[in-house]
Amino acid sequence: MQRFEGQVQLVLYPLALNPAANPASEVAAQAAWCAGEQGKFWEFHHMLYRRQELWNRLAAPLERLSEFSKDLNLDATALKSCVESGRMQTLVTADRAYSQQLQVNSTPTIFINANRVVGARPEGELVRLIREELDRVQPQGQ
Amino acid sequence: MAKKSRARAQTLSPRQQSPQRPLTPQRWRLKLVIGGAVLAVALGVGGLVRFLQQRDVAPRLQGTGDKHYTLGTAHAPVVIKEFSDYT
Repeated sequence: MQRFEGQVQLVLYPLALNPAANPASEVAAQAAWCAGEQGKFWEFHHMLYRRQELWNRLAAPLERLSEFSKDLNLDATALKSCVESGRMQTLVTADRAYSQQLQVNSTPTIFINANRVVGARPEGELVRLIREELDRVQPQGQ
Repeated sequence: MAKKSRARAQTLSPRQQSPQRPLTPQRWRLKLVIGGAVLAVALGVGGLVRFLQQRDVAPRLQGTGDKHYTLGTAHAPVVIKEFSDYT
């Protein structure tokens, strides 16, 4: 992102693609939103990936995630009650509906403007695709 | 048993009875042309589906999420929307 300063914006949609099959993803997405309420969305987001193996197979991962949140100096009790209240459910459901409109069937899926990129790609390839899109929307000399 | 075998032999089509002849260059060319046409149609249909899909998706991508976490510059010429599942 730093190399494209001023030219690119990243919008993140924490998605629970199939909560029936994998309820942990729904809890994690809600917990990320709740961490955002405490001003630490991105820290929590990165932590979820870093420690993925420690929580993603748990049937009820909230306890573990709230424990992890302490390491980020979050209020674990507030985070837990935020998720349990279900008030972030609407946001997660809305993102899922939006992803369905866009026919996102697997993750990660990214859109570079209107160009769909499905699956994890090497950084170099993403940089190339972003450059190509920048060249398209901002031809040289403009 | 012999009778049965004879009866089966009688039902075979003339093509099955005679050994297959090697394809002439003309028939090869015909096969290539047909195969190429089928491939071109398949690629065309694939391209059309992809085009329609993109055309459909583009307007919906215009509105960025009103309450989403972002990095980088607002109103940047390139907007990346990332859909990730934590599991």
